[in-house]
Amino acid sequence: MVLAVGSLVATSLPAHAETGVTGTEIKLGITLPLTGAASPGYNKIGNAMNAYFKYVNDNGGVYGRKVTLIQKNDEYSPQLSIAKTNELILKDKVFALVGPLGTANFTSVHKSVGIAKRGIPSLFLNTGFSGFANKKSYPTSFMVLPSYAMEAKIISQFLKENHAGKKLGIVYQNDEFGIDGMGAFKAAGIKFDVSVPYTSGTQSAATAQTWVSQLAAGGAQVVVFFGVTSATAPLLAVSAAAKYSPQWILGSVGADPLTLRALGVPLAVLNGAQTPAGNPSPNDTSDEYVKQFQEINTKYNAGTAFDDYVLQGMNIGLMTVQGLRAAGPNPTRKKLISAMETKGSSFASVAYSPLGFSATSNVGHTGYYMAVMDANGDRKPFGGKVKLYTTDSGSGPVVVSTFKRPAMPAKGLPSNS
Amino acid sequence: MRNFKFKRSLTLVAGAALAASLLVAAPTVASANPVCDGKVPVQTCGGATSDGAPYAMMVPANFNGTVYLYSHGYRPNIAIPAGIPVYGGYTITNTPQPGPNATVIAALLGKGYAVVGSGFARQGWNADSAIKTNVELVGAFKKQFTKTTKVIAWGESLGGFITQALAEKHPDLFSAAAPLCMASDVTPLSTMAGDALWGIKTFFDPTIKGGGYSAGAAGYAEAMGDLVKVFTVIGTLQAAFQANPSAPAWPATSKVPDAIKGIPSRSALVMVALMAGIPMQSAHFDSTSAPAGLPASNALSFQVAINPAFAALENVANAAALAVLATHDLELQAGGAIFDNTTTDYAARIADEQFIWASALSGNSGTAGLLSVLAASPRAKADPAAAAKLKTLVTHSGKVEIPTILFTGVADPVTAAGNQQSVADKYAAYYAEKWEAVKKAKGYKRPANNQLVLWNFPLEKYTKYTAAGAPDTSVPAATGTNHCNFTTSQYMAIADLLAYASANGRHLSGGPLLTKIRKAGNMTYDRGYSAPRLKYYGD
Repeated sequence: MVLAVGSLVATSLPAHAETGVTGTEIKLGITLPLTGAASPGYNKIGNAMNAYFKYVNDNGGVYGRKVTLIQKNDEYSPQLSIAKTNELILKDKVFALVGPLGTANFTSVHKSVGIAKRGIPSLFLNTGFSGFANKKSYPTSFMVLPSYAMEAKIISQFLKENHAGKKLGIVYQNDEFGIDGMGAFKAAGIKFDVSVPYTSGTQSAATAQTWVSQLAAGGAQVVVFFGVTSATAPLLAVSAAAKYSPQWILGSVGADPLTLRALGVPLAVLNGAQTPAGNPSPNDTSDEYVKQFQEINTKYNAGTAFDDYVLQGMNIGLMTVQGLRAAGPNPTRKKLISAMETKGSSFASVAYSPLGFSATSNVGHTGYYMAVMDANGDRKPFGGKVKLYTTDSGSGPVVVSTFKRPAMPAKGLPSNS
Repeated sequence: MRNFKFKRSLTLVAGAALAASLLVAAPTVASANPVCDGKVPVQTCGGATSDGAPYAMMVPANFNGTVYLYSHGYRPNIAIPAGIPVYGGYTITNTPQPGPNATVIAALLGKGYAVVGSGFARQGWNADSAIKTNVELVGAFKKQFTKTTKVIAWGESLGGFITQALAEKHPDLFSAAAPLCMASDVTPLSTMAGDALWGIKTFFDPTIKGGGYSAGAAGYAEAMGDLVKVFTVIGTLQAAFQANPSAPAWPATSKVPDAIKGIPSRSALVMVALMAGIPMQSAHFDSTSAPAGLPASNALSFQVAINPAFAALENVANAAALAVLATHDLELQAGGAIFDNTTTDYAARIADEQFIWASALSGNSGTAGLLSVLAASPRAKADPAAAAKLKTLVTHSGKVEIPTILFTGVADPVTAAGNQQSVADKYAAYYAEKWEAVKKAKGYKRPANNQLVLWNFPLEKYTKYTAAGAPDTSVPAATGTNHCNFTTSQYMAIADLLAYASANGRHLSGGPLLTKIRKAGNMTYDRGYSAPRLKYYGD
C-alpha cells in the first residue's frame, strides 16, 4: 500500500523539479533597455540571443529541452529593473538570468531582488563593472565582458605605445565607468589634460556642445571616450559639425559603427577612430564564429542588420547553452553555478581573450586588442594583425597574449557536457 | 538636460498619516470597570485602566469569543500650533481607538468579533507603558466578557511595535498577532530621524537645531521652530524643483560653499534620503517614469534623475515632521540629546546606493562633493546618560511562539520596510537556532514557523501626469507607498488570516494563503525577498 501511494506521488510530480525547468523547456530571462535613450544597439541583444536559442531548439535543444528567453524592458532605469526582474523570478519563474544589462541596473537588482539569497544564476552580465567580480558579494553571478578597469589599462598601454607626448582628453560617464576607468588610467600613469565627466542620462546634442568646447579649448589631440553609444553619437556628430577632429579612441561599450551611423554620425568621422575590441569585426566572414552567427541571424532574426550587438547576443546564447549542457541532463541552479565555476573557462566564445571563471573567480573575458575603423565603418586590427592584450582589474601587468580561443563547435551547436 | 517646467503647483505634503484617523465615541468615564451602553446589536463599553488610559470595547450581540486588540500609532505628546504644515492645530489626545478605521471595525463586528483598544495614558513613544496598559486591558475585557476565548493583537506603526512586543512577551495572553507597518527598535528609528534632520540642517539651513532641545518651554519652542524651518526648507525646495527641475536653486538659508551649489539642490535632497534610509519611491513619484512625449534623452533623465528627486522630496516632507516630534519626545524621556553621528561614515552609508542613484546624485563628482560637505560639517553628539537611558526602553527580540503576521509597504517613508525586515531577520535567526537544537537532539520534525511576512510592493510605474506633462499629486497615494497606506481589503485579509491562525494555532499556507492575499490585492508573500536594511540598528 505504501509503495502504491509512493508510485502515485512519483508519477504526479513534474518531470523535473527545478524552477524554470520542465521536461521540455528551460526558461531564461533578461532585462535590458528595449526602448528609450539607452536602447540603440542594446535593444538587439535579446532578439539575437533568442535567434540563437531557436536555432539550437530546431537542432534538438539542450538535452531535448527547448530554451526560451523572456525579455523585459527596463528602459535602463534601475528602479524599473528591480520590478522587471521580480516579474521574471516570481511570475515567469525563470531558471536563470542571462545577459542582464547595465551596472546600476544589476547592482540594484542584486541588492533588492536578493539574487544571491535566492541562489539564482545570473550569467554573462552585460556590464564591465569590476565590482561584479567580487565573488563573495556576487556568488551566483558571472561576468562576460572584460572589466572597465582592464579596458582602461589596455588603452593606457596603447596610449603610451602610440600617442606619447600628445595632449590627452577624456569624456567619461561619471559613475561606475568613472570609478573603474579613471582609477585604472591614473594607476597606469596616464594624465589627461582635459577631463570631461558627464552624468548618465544627460547625454544630448546640447550637452555634447559643452564637451566639445572644453576639449577644443584644452587643445586635446587624442580623446578617449568612455561611455555608452547614446553619448558617443552626439559627441562625434557635434565634433564633426564643429570641425574638431582629434584622434578618437572610443571605449568598447560605445563604439559600434553601425549603431553610431544609425544615430547620425558621419562615416568620415568614424574613419580612423581607434577602439579596444574583444571580438572580431561583425563583418569578418573569414571568422568561423562570425560566419556561423551571420547564417543564424539571416534565418532566425531576419531583417536585423548584423552588428556588434547581434554578435554579442548570439555569443551569449552560445555560452549559455554550453553552461546549460555543462549543468547536465537534470539541471538545477546549483549545478549550473557549479558548472560555470568548474567548466566555464573552457567555453567556446567569439572573443579572443581567455575566460577567467573558476571556483574563486567570476571574471569573464580578460583582454582586448586595439582596432581602427576604416572608411567603410568597418573595424580592422590596429597594425593589421590582432595583438591581444590581457590583464586583470587590479595591479597586474598588461601583457601581450598568445592565447588561442577554442574553436567554434561544429555547426555552432555545443556538444560539451 | 532639458529645463523641465511644471505649470501646476505640486502638493507634496500628505495629511497627518500618524495622527489618529479614527476616534471612537465611547463612554469616557475613568472607571476601573467598563461602563457599557448595552446597545444592540453592538454594545460599546468605556473605562480606564489603572494608569488612567481610556479604552473602548465594542462587542456584538453574537460575540463569537474572539476579540481583536488594536494598538494605535504615534500621536505627538505636545500640542502643535495652527499654521504648521501637516500637524498644525493638533492637541494631545488619548481617545481610544479599537481598530484601524470604522469600516474595518464594522466588518469585524459584523462577523461576530469584538474589538478593543486603548488611547494610552501617555502619547509620544510610549511602548513600555502601552504594553502594560494593554495587558491590563485584556484582563478587563475577559473579566467583563467571560465568553472570551481568544485574544488577537494587532496595531500599526508604533502600535505595530507594541503588538510585536505583546506577542513576544505575553504568548499566554494572545493567540495571534499582526504588527503592521511596524516600528522596530527606538534606536534605529531615532537615528533615521536624526540623520534626516541633520542632513536637512547641514545642506539647507544650519539654524535648524535638529535635536539637543532645551528643557521645558524653551525646548518646546525650539522644536516648533524647527518644524517651521524644516517645512520652509521643504517648501522652498519644492518651489525650486518646480521652477527648474534640472538644476533647482538652493534655498537662501543654505550655507554650503558656492562650489557645492553648482550641484543641483535636488541631488542634496536625494543624498539626505539615502543617508537616512528613506525610500526613493513616494506616494506620487515612482522613480521610473517620465511624462509622455518627451524626447528619449530627456525622458531618461527624468526617469533616473528628476523623478527620484521628487520622490525624495515627498518622502522627506512626510517624514520630517515626525523626525522633529519624535526627537523632541525621546529627548524629554531620556533627559538629553540622543542623536550622535560623531563617528558616522556617510560615504559608507550610501555606498550600496550611490551607483544605483548615480544620475540623481549628479554622478561621482556630485556625490563626492555632497559627501565632502557632510564630512566637513560639525557633528551632533549625544548625551551619554540619555543615550544609555534610551537603550533601557523595550526592544524586540524577534522571538515569538504564537503566529504573527508582518505586513508593510515597501516604500513606507516613516517606518521604512527595514523595520519589518529587522524583525523578520531576528525571527529567522531564532528559528534556525530552534531547528539546530532539534537536529542536535536527533529530532526530525521542523519547528512550526510562527512568522508570516507579507509585503506591499509599489507598482512599476504609477506617477500620473497632467495633459501638460506635470506630475499630478492630487491623486491618492500609490499602493505600497506612504505610511500605513492599506486598503480595507488588505486589513480584512490580515484580520481573516489572524482569525485562522488564532483558531488553528498555525498560519494558513499554500494555495489557500496565496488565494487569500491575491484576492485582497497588492499583498505579496515572497520568502526570497529582503527589504533594504535600515542604515543603523544600534549594533
